[in-house]
Amino acid sequence: MKLFSAFIICLLFSIPSFAQETFPVNGVADGNPNYDAFTNATIIVDYKTKLENATLLIQRGKIIEAGENIKFPPGTVVHDMKGKFIYPSLIDIFSNYGFKPVERERRTDRRPHMERSTKGALGWNEAIKPEIDAVKIFTADSKASEELRKLGFGAVLTSPMDGIARGTAAFVTLGSERDNETVIEGKAAAVYSFDKGNSQQDYPSSLMGAIALLRQTYLDAQWYKNSQAKEEYNLSLEAWNNIQNLPQIFEVNDWQSVLRADKIGDEFGVQYIIKGGGDEYKRADEIKKTNAKLIVPINFPEAYDVEDPFDANIVSYNDLKEWELAPENPSYLEKHSLDFSLTTYGLKKKDEFWKNLRKAIEYGLSEETALKSLTYNPASFLGLQDKVGSLKKGMLANFLITSSDLFDKKNIIYENWVNGKPYSINDFDAININGNYLLTIGDKTYKLKIEGEQKKPKAQVQRENDTTKISAIISVKRKLITLTFDPKDKTGMIRLSGSIFENPLLLKGKGQPGSGEWVDWTAEFISGITGEKEKSKIKPKLRLTDIIYPFQPFGRKTKPGNPKDVLIQNATVWTNEKDGILQNTDVYLKDGKIFRIGKNLKPENSSVEIIDATGMQLTPGIIDEHSHIAISGGVNEGTQSSSAEVRIGDVINSEDINIYRQLSGGVVASQLLHGSANPIGGQSGIVKLRWGKIPDEMKINGADGFIKFALGENVKQSNWGDLVRERFPQTRMGVEQVYVDAFTRAREYENKWKAYNSLSASDKQKISPPRRDLELDALLEILNHKRFITCHSYVQSEINMLMKVAESFKFNVNTFTHILEGYKVADKMKQHGAGGGSFSDWWAYKFEVYEAIPYNAAIMHDEGVTVAINSDDAEMGRRLNQEAGKSVKYGGLSEEEALKLVTLNPAKLLHLDKRMGSIKAGKDADVVLWTDDPLSVYTKAQKTFVDGICYYDKDEDAKMREEINKERAEIIQKMIEAKKEGEGVRKPVKKEDMLYNCGTIVEDYLSN
Amino acid sequence: MKKIFILCLIISSAAFAQKPVPAKQQTESILLTGGTAHIGNGKVIENSLVGFKGGKLTLVSEAANFDAVKKQYDKIIDITGKQVYPGFIAMNTNLGLVEISAVRATLDYAEVGALNPNVRSVIAYDTDSKIIPTVRTNGVLLAQVTPRSGLISGSSSVVELDGWNWEDATFKTDEGIHLNWSRMFTTGGFMAAAQGIKKNEEYEKFITNIKKFFADSRAYSEIKDQKEKNLKFEAMRGLFDGNRTLYIHADNVKEIMEAVNIAKDAGVKKIVLIGGNEAWRIPEFIKQNNIPVVVERPHSLPARAEDDVDMPYKLIPILFKQGILVSIDSDGEMSPASNRNIPFYAGTAAAYGLTKEQALMTITSNAAKILGIDDKVGTLETGKYATLFVSDGDALDMKTNNVTLAFIEGKNIDLRNEQKELYYRYMNKYGLKIK
Repeated sequence: MKLFSAFIICLLFSIPSFAQETFPVNGVADGNPNYDAFTNATIIVDYKTKLENATLLIQRGKIIEAGENIKFPPGTVVHDMKGKFIYPSLIDIFSNYGFKPVERERRTDRRPHMERSTKGALGWNEAIKPEIDAVKIFTADSKASEELRKLGFGAVLTSPMDGIARGTAAFVTLGSERDNETVIEGKAAAVYSFDKGNSQQDYPSSLMGAIALLRQTYLDAQWYKNSQAKEEYNLSLEAWNNIQNLPQIFEVNDWQSVLRADKIGDEFGVQYIIKGGGDEYKRADEIKKTNAKLIVPINFPEAYDVEDPFDANIVSYNDLKEWELAPENPSYLEKHSLDFSLTTYGLKKKDEFWKNLRKAIEYGLSEETALKSLTYNPASFLGLQDKVGSLKKGMLANFLITSSDLFDKKNIIYENWVNGKPYSINDFDAININGNYLLTIGDKTYKLKIEGEQKKPKAQVQRENDTTKISAIISVKRKLITLTFDPKDKTGMIRLSGSIFENPLLLKGKGQPGSGEWVDWTAEFISGITGEKEKSKIKPKLRLTDIIYPFQPFGRKTKPGNPKDVLIQNATVWTNEKDGILQNTDVYLKDGKIFRIGKNLKPENSSVEIIDATGMQLTPGIIDEHSHIAISGGVNEGTQSSSAEVRIGDVINSEDINIYRQLSGGVVASQLLHGSANPIGGQSGIVKLRWGKIPDEMKINGADGFIKFALGENVKQSNWGDLVRERFPQTRMGVEQVYVDAFTRAREYENKWKAYNSLSASDKQKISPPRRDLELDALLEILNHKRFITCHSYVQSEINMLMKVAESFKFNVNTFTHILEGYKVADKMKQHGAGGGSFSDWWAYKFEVYEAIPYNAAIMHDEGVTVAINSDDAEMGRRLNQEAGKSVKYGGLSEEEALKLVTLNPAKLLHLDKRMGSIKAGKDADVVLWTDDPLSVYTKAQKTFVDGICYYDKDEDAKMREEINKERAEIIQKMIEAKKEGEGVRKPVKKEDMLYNCGTIVEDYLSN
Repeated sequence: MKKIFILCLIISSAAFAQKPVPAKQQTESILLTGGTAHIGNGKVIENSLVGFKGGKLTLVSEAANFDAVKKQYDKIIDITGKQVYPGFIAMNTNLGLVEISAVRATLDYAEVGALNPNVRSVIAYDTDSKIIPTVRTNGVLLAQVTPRSGLISGSSSVVELDGWNWEDATFKTDEGIHLNWSRMFTTGGFMAAAQGIKKNEEYEKFITNIKKFFADSRAYSEIKDQKEKNLKFEAMRGLFDGNRTLYIHADNVKEIMEAVNIAKDAGVKKIVLIGGNEAWRIPEFIKQNNIPVVVERPHSLPARAEDDVDMPYKLIPILFKQGILVSIDSDGEMSPASNRNIPFYAGTAAAYGLTKEQALMTITSNAAKILGIDDKVGTLETGKYATLFVSDGDALDMKTNNVTLAFIEGKNIDLRNEQKELYYRYMNKYGLKIK
């Protein structure tokens, strides 16, 4: 389509434009029917098409044509763009342009806020606001739009970014016309996040609560859509249903949450476009599998001031590595063929955009992908690729005129055209006057150096034969120049004004020294500024440290692969089976399972790794029945007395250093429990400590579902202060009623469904199906023996109560965890069939544990209860073998029985004893090799195997420590180098991970 | 002289109806025979004789001369196969000041105000705390009862873990002043850990104030009998004449260095560092300044993710091997109940680089030296107090620690406690055999 006849052009031109037709005009009609033609330009039509010596023709804000040999009709303003470049302007589809940033109003009272604070026929939770329609409250912000235009942006997707369901976002241009004209698409996308924003309501108070809320809202919306006789009018659900067909954008802040968001989408048939945190490089393979398109920030971490080695110590290894590797993120995504857009969102100062983008390019991002991720991709993600992102017929006249290649360090954006209107960024005619000059003023001569940005040049003057550098005030406007400086000869300021002459470069004019007399001055160009060029030339090739799995100290350079076959020879083997403790015995691990146990076992082939365990002891891996490690975003959703719908499995954090620390203490598996802030907590995550795998890979497949219940002081909020006395229950009496009520409701819910399901298909048509309720689903699973309770418990009265409630609903309580007064009701537990977990010797930290005794485990055990020793504590979790050893001291358990407290017995309590907990052929190869008696204070784990993979090895650990130190030193050197080169630095800050226990309540779940 | 081979402590469960009774003064002289004596200074006597009269050790030797000495003792107890140790010392503890951590009415360890050197812990020490008997049952027989809070939290005293009242129990009164060195880096506030740790803007102010307080205290102390009394300055006197020790609680490298430098410049004679998490980075500095260290309980997590996984375990060995006088406290979660695990903290040090006898020193002779009571306790040496106990097995290992006999100044300590009583009571209820 090289030739375009004037006729066709005329036809095109007759299509009515979108001028402000509904608005009255004050004065006379002022339409502009002219064309603008930009000729002789290098036109980048789209990210992959470059035309030389081409023409762009526009009219009334639209592109008429872009191409070579384009003829234009009379009535065309011709702009000669010789030597200049034209690009489609950039697009940011993650922005709150035109809206104030959400500032969370912190509540000052500690009273419960169970209901929404705003009124209206809305949904129950004010963090779910699909009814928010950004376009209805949008107004352009001239300051913000100017800032973005300067960077080259022409259009953005914007929404107020408040809440978990944030409603719809508007796609607008960054022009200064009436809002009617800047809005391109009123509802261009729906936006979501895990952040409750400014919601004043308590729920959700955790990441898992936010996930549960989203899940329930999807179900509620379906129910609302399908219910025939509307039982309620719900603006939020109605809006939710109405916006499902739009592109769905989900904001998260780290790679683990990318996977979390995508999983929610998978459950409900939605493919989100996910705005990530910029750390996708840590798990690009896994993220690729989500098929999600990404929006990626380039707010790379700032360097730290690490010159003082002691102060530098508080900067973590992770933060150092992130600083080093984050700029590689975009190029990493490109290499993994992930489709992504870039966003300015998250940049502290918007003008860091180009610096960081160029850094990303320096780190390997191709210019083509960079352009694609700022033009075509954002447009196509929203289905707007026919309107913006390229320079093709009929599209918006949103384009940039630049001095050179857009990504060139020296490129200047001259003009940013939005909707066919020009916005000047830099003077077109401005001449690059950077260089060294010989400045002559009257009879005196100086050296003059001009450098820096074209708009903000800097100047420096030196007297002849003098090394003192005098900075001068300079301003350049088109071809006019003003220069003022103090010659430091006590004659006062010299003020010069003049013009710029080209070919050769010469500055010339008149000026006034301090004396006031007028003099002539000239500045002759001598040489260019060489420093900048040289610097970029001598940049050494980037050498980055490795990505490790997990991205934590003691992570490894490769992801855990398949298990090797291992033959452990000549160990003392604690089998936990009727063989008891076997001396001088071999254990053969094959394909992740225990293959053989015996004497003088022979390897089947030469690839079997042989470990000489002479003098060492082998036990089954330790299982922690009660742990709160490896959890993201809060451990309690204690805002309601029942939160059975929340799932720890949704928020497993595979990046917690405590996973490795537990492995170093021989722990192979943990039940990750909800906290104890409410009587009915949340569903457990049962994991093996597969260090280096992602959360889903840590879960034990096929494990039964468990749920945390809690009794006592925590659930009745006894130690929360006098202000917290409103949420039901506040006494043990009330706790019983919570349970009776919950199970009664669950039974009724089941009946409702049964009744509905028994209807004929035609009868079903006539009525609405019952609403699915995730909380009641979980409770019903308990009633139907498909989900099992592990209950935080201390004193005998309430333990007895829960067993009686369970019995009345015909199910059993599976486990009473850290049941410190279990010894008082061991006979009843035995009769009921409940197991018990216990701390070995904790007591006296609150009133309900004043009669906790270290003999508890032994008494329960002797009475026939299945007993485990559990941790509830990341520190104690790695010494559970010693805590088990205390049961030999307190209550005289045999050594074998003592070891079972942390191996076989917790496996039984978790219904995993068929595959874990003992050394028996066919069971999982979860074993620990100890240097000494495993129950002794003197022992250390030498190797910890999970599924036959050695995840902790004492010798390897020693090597990794050295490597960590080396890497730290290497990156710190780079940081100091970067500071020298002018990169901004901040004071050392240490991020501290929160250690959770049962009672932990977080203030802001997304930062924990 | 009557020869008793086994002192039978098996009492029927019904007898455990009351709390342990403070022991009476030693009247009979006692000779322990055949046990392995861990002297507490690194030495061991495998087959030993340990004799004591009137509360003091009169004999610690090989068993060879048994026939020669047996007549000198009223009571002979055969502890063959068992271990005898000097009583363990719990450093820097709120034992007796805290009963139930979550119940405010039972808390007497933290007074309000920033500078309270005059506040004395010992008078709040509750000899009737139910925690004390559970601690002593594991071999801990002395404690440095220490207040917390503010910058200067008050003065600590050493008590024996047996007595009718604090006056009885007091072993060394007001022996030290506790200074909580300000953190150079702080977290943003309550539950704000995620916001990161930042430079403490108040730190310089703290330095100015604490220097001034030291200077004022010192100037005040130059006049023996001040007309206008200032209780705070009075309490500080001992620091400048060497009668009291300044215990500085600090963890981070620069804080430790700065604290020591400033305290020395202020004229403080005896300085002890408490905590010292990062002391492993600067053992030379600590050694050079001759500062003893009371290390926070080793059963803690490393301070940073990239620290050696076992850093808290090996901190004591690192400092010990440098020649620093090092001891252990049990401060932290579950304090003061955790004092009963002090033997196992020492055991951990043995697992990570010390010999068992070196590890033992940290909770016996080293602790006694730091407290300035090593002339009386801390080792099994003649002339010192008979503050010692007998364990069936290695007392530093939880599996084998089983204390069957304990003496404080020769007084035979009642080793019952309420927890044992509850054990017997419920084993009895279920008709189970007590092991």
